[in-house]
Formats: sequence, structure tokens, C-alpha cells
Amino acid sequence: MKAAPFDYLRPGSVGEACEALAADMEARVLAGGQTLVPMLAMRLSRPSRLVDITRLEELSRIDRVEDGVAIGAAVRQCIALRSDIIASDVPLLAAALPHVGHPPTRARGTVGGSIAHGDPSAEIALAATILDARIMFLADGEEEEFSPEEFFIGPTVTMAPLGGLLTRVVFPSRPSGRVGAAFHEIASRRSDYAFASTGAQVVLDGDGTCTDALLGVGSVGDTPVALDVSALAGTRLGEEDIRGAVEAALEDLDCVDDLHATATYRRRAAAQLAAQSLRNARDRAVEETA
Amino acid sequence: MSGPAKLFQGKYVSTDRRVREDPRFVAGHGRFVQDIDRPGMLHVALVAAQAPAARIVKIDPSAALAMEGVVDVIDGAELSAAVNPLMNGLDTPKVQRFPLAVGQNRYAGEWVAAVVAETRALAEDAAEKVRVETEKLGFVIDAEQALEEGATPVHPEHGSNLLLDRTFDWGPVDEDFARSDDSLKLRVTWGRNSTVPIETFGVICEWNAWEKVLDVWASIQMPKYADQIARALKLHGNEVRVHYDVDVGGSYGVKRGIKQTVLAGYLARKLGRPVRLIEDRLENMRSGDAHGPERIFDIEVAFDRDGTVNAMRMRALDNAGAYAGRAPFQLGKPIGAIVGPYRINSVQYRAMSVTTNKAVQEAVRGFGQAPTNYAIETMMDRVADHLGIDRLDLRQKNLIRPDEFPYEIPSGSKYDSGDYQAVIAKVLEQGDYDGMRAERDRLRAEGMCAGIGVAACLEPSGGNSSFEPLLNPANRTSTWMEGSRVNIDALGDVTVAIHTTSSGQGHETLAATVVGEVLGVDPDRVRVVRPDSLGSLPGNSPVGSRMAIMLGGAAANAARDIIRQAIAIGAHLMDADPGDCSYDSGTVIGPGGAEIAWTEIVDVAHRRFHDLPKGTNPGLTASFIQQVPTGETLPKDGKAQMYPCYSFEFHLVLVAFAPVLAKPELRRYVIGHDCGTVINPHIVKGMTLGGIAHGIGATLLEEFAYDGEGQLMTQSFLDYLMPSSHEVPEVQIVKHCTPSPLTEFGQKGSGESGYLGSPAAISGAIHDALKPWGIHLNKLPIRMAAISDAIAAAEEKGHP
Repeated sequence: MKAAPFDYLRPGSVGEACEALAADMEARVLAGGQTLVPMLAMRLSRPSRLVDITRLEELSRIDRVEDGVAIGAAVRQCIALRSDIIASDVPLLAAALPHVGHPPTRARGTVGGSIAHGDPSAEIALAATILDARIMFLADGEEEEFSPEEFFIGPTVTMAPLGGLLTRVVFPSRPSGRVGAAFHEIASRRSDYAFASTGAQVVLDGDGTCTDALLGVGSVGDTPVALDVSALAGTRLGEEDIRGAVEAALEDLDCVDDLHATATYRRRAAAQLAAQSLRNARDRAVEETA
Repeated sequence: MSGPAKLFQGKYVSTDRRVREDPRFVAGHGRFVQDIDRPGMLHVALVAAQAPAARIVKIDPSAALAMEGVVDVIDGAELSAAVNPLMNGLDTPKVQRFPLAVGQNRYAGEWVAAVVAETRALAEDAAEKVRVETEKLGFVIDAEQALEEGATPVHPEHGSNLLLDRTFDWGPVDEDFARSDDSLKLRVTWGRNSTVPIETFGVICEWNAWEKVLDVWASIQMPKYADQIARALKLHGNEVRVHYDVDVGGSYGVKRGIKQTVLAGYLARKLGRPVRLIEDRLENMRSGDAHGPERIFDIEVAFDRDGTVNAMRMRALDNAGAYAGRAPFQLGKPIGAIVGPYRINSVQYRAMSVTTNKAVQEAVRGFGQAPTNYAIETMMDRVADHLGIDRLDLRQKNLIRPDEFPYEIPSGSKYDSGDYQAVIAKVLEQGDYDGMRAERDRLRAEGMCAGIGVAACLEPSGGNSSFEPLLNPANRTSTWMEGSRVNIDALGDVTVAIHTTSSGQGHETLAATVVGEVLGVDPDRVRVVRPDSLGSLPGNSPVGSRMAIMLGGAAANAARDIIRQAIAIGAHLMDADPGDCSYDSGTVIGPGGAEIAWTEIVDVAHRRFHDLPKGTNPGLTASFIQQVPTGETLPKDGKAQMYPCYSFEFHLVLVAFAPVLAKPELRRYVIGHDCGTVINPHIVKGMTLGGIAHGIGATLLEEFAYDGEGQLMTQSFLDYLMPSSHEVPEVQIVKHCTPSPLTEFGQKGSGESGYLGSPAAISGAIHDALKPWGIHLNKLPIRMAAISDAIAAAEEKGHP
């Protein structure tokens, strides 16, 4: 388990990084390396060159921007987990982050790396999908933007432009009103690859009526998916409302079968966790003072 | 043997003393194979077969050999022409095994060529360049399919896939079935899992042409390792020198290492340079010695309405993988405890082992006992369910009673001692069984699935390897001895020698404690050394839960010999009869209370030949080779005294899970453990906790699973799921001591404790929780999806 030979480059700027990536289509970005390095060791990934962006200051910031929160590609998950900006402005991402890996992997793993890798069970990718975050690349000197729905196209297969560099992910800020978010997942071991994962965000008006609801499911199919639960708007998110919405939303959900969990199990677990996420999101929104 | 042995009150034995090995491991100062660097050392990487079975048409190493730093590439044809086949425990001469596949490979991942280079990284680069041309052959993965008429034979020369098929009838089985009120049948399957050491196997071989000796440093736990190397490499026994002063980073059976060592030894001789082979995790899991038993049990049990279990028929079908090796013997060890702790009058046992195109099965903790205990205990649960009797009451009804020891079971083994009722009573009381039941009912009322599991089972320990002659009449083994030497130097200090490697069992603590106890010397002052194999007394490595009994016995007896010699010298100096003298912590005491000090005795022994008793040799040293207690005869009429000592454990577990997500949580875990006199309590505690964690993995998570194409799906920690600290609960250990009458201090084995009963207990708890739905999940590991899907299916049919 030794990597095949490769070159290593640590560029001093985003510009240099982009140049290096544009010059060599076999180059790969090294961000946190929590997935890439094991894949290198097993020779499942054989890049000609690693472009190490972990020390680029420009990519290590969490900023409030006009339409949301921009998280640099090299922001480590442990930093995101402790970010006050994310906690207050992107509560769904804040709810998802504790489920990402373990403390040692979060200490190196990055938000950008998780998105770029495109694992269908990645919590950050699911949060981005539910919230319709904007995935920003620099390629050929141009900024290119992807929605999660167009970006994630299969298990660890994405629309990342050749020779491009993921620079940041912009998560929309929480809407106004009373907002609650929740994230749940199930695996056979704590923080292992989930068999099913769900996230939900709801907005309530002053008297507790839902004005908006978002739901998404990860880990069950080829990509994380956002599900339509707009029917919940106008309800008070009662048990029956939630059950009906989840049932309808999951009707066409494709689930995979593997050694560790059957498709029937994934579907059943996803439905249960989806309802739980919506309930918990509702309860958190209720706790918010109008 | 008469009456129960007395409790041993020691000065050092059983006391709360630190494990002497721990500081060097905790501080990072162990010395593992990876830490040993030999000048000019070369490194090996392996080329693995892709298909589960394929004829090797041609191996072209030219591209690899053209790379700078690549020294050699060898294949099975070259190797098999130069070395003897590896040891085969059975009498199946046409099932031959070499370190590299010869002519065809027989499982996906099998090594077909070895690349030798200046660094391991270079060797891996070059291994990719070796071109292997093959023609795919038919293959078989499933043990039952392998048995079918017309199944593809894994070894065509052998003619079928059947390696072993022996049926034993112990007692009046048919009569007992006929006279019983009732009977039932069940099938349970033990999935292919293992122990997974933190350190993979590694070996360094170096041929010294001037001394004509092969030096070997290895991460090894293999009986008769040096002999096997010499036989395979066609060397004299004294041309192999295994260095035992190498720390082994975990094993519990799987550090077999013989094919790796023969390969590295051949290369070292051929190339004239030291050669190192350290498996990476992929090589280890896919094609090393990583896989343990995989077994289907078909059981028929006969019993009366009052719960008395009279007879059992058990067929155990073991999937041995691609070659024979020692694995089929894992069907033999359980013969020594085939009725568990119960008075079952008669047993029919059919042991079957078949080859398949899977990685070779190797020894794993318990050597086949854990699967068998799981089968027996699941059987007891089913009988209780069937009769509507409480599971504990059913067990109590059938337990061997304390006044019945030594108790001979139908297969001919005598259990030395035990008080199973006392252990169970303690566990129920100290573990608060009533509270546990209340907690279970409370959880059920909340809508959770909750269940309690129990398991009572034995750990046969210190055996004679009697399963070898029992299963293979050509094998005449009747000893599995262990030697130790105690030496007193000219300053009067004590050194004891261990003649094997250790893989975490704390043998240095064991030997020092035992010798310190006998000689009355602080064990911290006792030096422990490990000579190499050429400087060692015969031994059989730490397998079969034997070292407390066998090394403990050898070291204690050698120390007793030192005392005998000291008394002889002291008595001579006092002009007294040795029979009138005694020994106390170094001092020899004569009649009337006269004393000769230790320094004086040492001085005489080392310097003053003229003061020694006539005919006494100088020096103060003793060697002792311990024979297995009870190991007097070969098996006869299909019966054997398999093990001398029988430890007992009783598990009590509370499991809870939600019906849809179905993730079993171990809410309470209590184990009662009786391994006789404990030499060091910390070591026994560590064994037990680790064994339970291992059992949790076997029950819920771990499996070397193959897909329909014959490919191993779980070949890294991504898919081979081991329990982490999150999944292992706090465990309450309830201690009990019934000394063995057969050993020095009353000790029994404890190296397999915890693991031998936890799968049965956890599985039993899950089934207790599933009772309302009437679900049986008969295969380990029990995955969450299986539980949830079964509940959903039962509810669709209207249960409960």
C-alpha cells in the first residue's frame, strides 16, 4: 500500500494552483487528503501530480457575502464546526458537521474536499444539496458556478471542470422567520459511511405555521438528493402532515443494495430519519423566538 | 484427583501487580519486525491473482526486471522446484500448497509471483509491471455447493472438494433420541471472520553462508515454526535460527507466517542478501493468514418435557478455503467440549471440511470453539423456547454439578473442575438480573425492541493437540510440551528463559511472577530472556490458551529444581539430611533452625566445588520441560482427553434497538469468569474485555464476504468493519475461582475468554428482543438490515 509515483507541488497562490492544474490534466488537488491519501495508497487514484492547497490563505476563510456564507475550499471541517458564522447563518450545515467523520479526520478533512470528492454519503454534500449551495470553480481564468444538482452526477463522479480548482462553496443564509434545522444518519458504527442520512430545514411564521420546508436524503443512492416537501407549507407540521409529505417525497427514491445494507432497509431508514429530521427541525424552530 | 483443589494464596500470584511488558509498549519502545534493519536488506511485494481460479499460462517479468532497483522476480514454478510443500495437517497428499501458486491459482488474491527490489515502494511499482497471462477456470465459493456431485474441484488431483469427513458416535445416540419426549432441528451459520492484528505479518530472513544458518526475525505465533521452515527449505533443523526477541503486534492465531517465511527464506538464500516481507493490509486481508473458521451447523437435539437434554446430533461443515493447512483441525478442538457445560448423555458429531476458492482458513482464537459454543448455546435457547421453559432454568437443569468433577463427557474428555452454578448465581446477583429485566420491560413499553441474552460456555485450555491424531490417524502426536530454564548467576540473581515469541499475552509477567512466587523473590528482580530457537528448549508457541498452564508449569518446576539444589547444598554445609531442611525465600533452614544464606549457597555453587555435595555439578541452573497434564495416551475408539483444564464463562447481556433502524446497542454487559487461579489479574481482565469486543465484531459487524464472482468484498477496513470504542460497552466482570487440581497453582487458560460466549449471548439477546415477531436470524454477522427487513416482513404477514 504505497502510492504510485507522483509529483508534489505546493503553490503559493490560487493563481499558481490554477496554472498547475491547467497544465496537467492528470493532476489532482490535495486539500485534506482524508479520502485521497488512502486511495493513493491503494493505487485506486494515480495522479501525475498533487497540488497541495492546504496552506493557501485565500481558500481558508469563512466569509459572510451578499447572498450567504462563502466557505473556502481549504477550510477544515473542524474549523467549520466551530464557526459562529456557520452556526448562526447556516444552521443545517452546522447540524450536519458533527456527523462528518471523527475528530482526527475533521482536523484535516476540508469542506471543499468533501464536495469535490462527491461521495453520496458525504454529509456536507447533502447539506449543500438541500440548501442549493453554489459550488464555485476557477477554470481557464474564469469563475464557473454549479448547483449541487448539476454537480453531483454519480458516486464520486462530478461535473468538476477539467483542470479547474474548486475555490469556495457559498451556502445561502438562513431565511428570515423562525428557522429550525436537523440532520440524522444511521450506520453500523458511529460516524461510519451512513446507510441513510437526512437533513431538513423548516421556517415557521409567528403563529407556528410552516412557510417553507426543505428535505434531502443521502447515502441511499448514487448522489445526495433534495426532495420536494413544499406541500408542508401552510401546515403546522403535525405528525400526519410529516408522514404524508415524507411518503410522497420518497416515493421515487432509488436505493442501492450492498453487503452492509439492503435497498429496502435504506428506504425504510431514510423515511424514518426524514420524518425525525422534520420533527426535530420543527421543534427547534418553535423554540426560536418570533 | 480427589476433592476440589484448594484456593492458592500467593505472595505474588493473583496480586495486583503491573504487567511488566506494558511500559515499553505504551512508551513506543517495543521492537517489532519493522524496527529491525539489516544491512543490504531487500524488500518483497507480491503479484496477486485476479480471478478466483485460473490456469497460469505465462508470467513475463521482463518489464519489471528492466526497472532500476529491481533485483528479482520469481514465480511458483521456480519456487516449487526448490522447496517442499508446506505442512498439511491432514492425510491428503494431493492437496499441495506452496507460497506462490503453481500452475493455477485457487482464490482471488493468491500470490502468483514475488518481486524483490531495493525498497518496498519500488517492489510495488515493479509488481504492477509483471504480466500474468491466464485462462479462467471454474470455481466454487459456497461450502455446500462444493460438496455437490459434479462441483468444480479446487484441487483436481485430489478428486473432490472433501478434505475431511469423520463421524463420531459417542454413547447411545439413537436410543437416547428414541426414548426422549421431543426433539427439534436447527441450522446456524458462523460467518467467516477473524482476529485482525494491528500489525500485519512481517518477516526478515538472512542466510549466513559462512555459518550456514538462516536467521529469521518474524511477527510469528506458529507452533513448530523453525521445524516447518527447515523442512520446506530442505535445511537441517539446526540451520534455521528464529529470533524470539521480536515483539508481535497482535495475533490470536493468525500470525501463521509460514508461506511468507519460506518465500523470504528461499529468496534470502538465492540472492545472498537479507530479504524482508511485510504484508500491507490488502495482502494481509486478501491473501495472508487472515481468515478464520466459516461453519454451517446442522443440529438435531433430543430432550424431555421437563427440559432434560439427552442427546445431540451435530454436523459441522467448515469452509476451509483453497488449501488444507492446519485449519481442518479447528473442527477437532471443540470435541473436547462438545456438550458445553451440560450433562448431555450422547452425541453424534460429523466433522466435514471442504475446499473452496476462498482464501485459506487459518487458526483463530478458540481454534473452532467459539463457533461451536455459539451453536450449542443457540440450541439451548431454542429448546427452552420450544418447551416454554425459561432459558436460565433450562440451563440450570442440565448443568454439570460441582460434585460431579472430574466429569467425563461422551467424547472422552474429563473436565477438571468447576462450579458453574456459583458463577451464574454471582452474575445474576452482582449484575442485577432483576433490574435488567425491569429495564428490558421498560424499554419494550417505550416501543423499543429489547432483549436479554445469556450464554454459558467453556474454554478448553492447555491441550495436547490431540485433535491431530484423532482426525488424522497417521499423526501420532501425544505431547505438546513447553520448556523453561531458570538460571542463578554468580551474584545470586535470577533469570528465566521463555522459548517463544509473545503477541501481547504478557508471558514475561507470567514467567517472572511464577518463578518469583516459587523462589520467594520479588518478580521485578527476575530477569526474563528469550534465547533464539537454537538456544531454546522445545516448545509449542502460545496457542490453545496454554501458556499459564504450560509455561507457568515449566517455569515453576524449574524453580522448584533450583530449590532442591539449594537445599542439597545447604544441607551438605550443615551436615544435615536434605529431607530435614527447608527453603524460604533464598534461605535454607536446617534442623534446629540453623540457616544458610542465599549468598553462601550461590558462592558454593559458582566457586567452591570442594564444598559441593559429592557428585554434584557446579552452577545453579535448572531446565524443565512440562508435559501436558492428563496427556498420557493417544486417542482411542474415537475418544480423546483433549484438554486438561476447562475455564468457564457466563454472559448476561441487555440489547436494545429501534424496530426500523435496528442498530443493536449493548445496554448492559456482565460476564462471570472462572479461569481458576489467576496469575496476573490485569492480563486476564485485558483478555476478557478484548475477547468480548472481538465477539461483538463477529456477531454484528465483521465478515470476509465474497461476491458471486469469487471476489473478496471486504478487503480493507472500509468494508471489514471492526467495533470501535463507540460500539464496545462498559463490561462488568464478575470473578470466581475454582482452581484446577492439575496445575501448579490451580490456574487454567484465559487467552480466549470473552470471545467464546459473547456471540451466543448477543445473538440470544437480539432473538429475545425479536420474540414477538417469531424471527430467527441464523447467520452471523447479524446485520442491521437483516433485523429491520425481517421485522418488516413479519409485520406484513400480520405479526405480532
